[in-house]
Amino acid sequence: MKRLSLAIVLIGLFCLAAFGQAAPAPPQTHLKVGDKAPDFTLNDTEGKPVKLSDYKGKKSVVLAFYVLAFTGG
Amino acid sequence: MDSFAANKAYAEKISVTFPLLSDWKRQTTKDYGLYNEVSGYGSRATVVVDRDGIIQHVEQGRTAIDPTGAYQVCDLLQKKKSGPSKPEEKKP
Repeated sequence: MKRLSLAIVLIGLFCLAAFGQAAPAPPQTHLKVGDKAPDFTLNDTEGKPVKLSDYKGKKSVVLAFYVLAFTGG
Repeated sequence: MDSFAANKAYAEKISVTFPLLSDWKRQTTKDYGLYNEVSGYGSRATVVVDRDGIIQHVEQGRTAIDPTGAYQVCDLLQKKKSGPSKPEEKKP
């Protein structure tokens, strides 16, 4: 009975080691309030380039990073 | 990091009124520290950038889907743009 219990515990530990590892930690941005926003140029849905710095002095911008929001992934 | 085609289809579906951009090369997501090299996916975040190009609000993770914080910051920026409210004149 003791052997069986030991085996169960060992199997449990093995499973923890093999499959119980935590998922990779999500990235933590280094950016904080007061930092200069990194500039970028990305294409919109019409293929037209949109540059963040083009809004400088004109408008505030809300950037919503919404990864894999519109796909099945 | 959705594809151009996926973004376009979605934009047409909901008739978005703002630019919907595709970071297909993941460079911007990396520049903003939102890319997980291990999993190969980005993290969701909301960043408010003021007219001077300075970050005024950062919200990352699951709570980033809630626009309340960004809305409040935008409201403050709008008030800042309008200038300080004039003090009420005291009537004699």
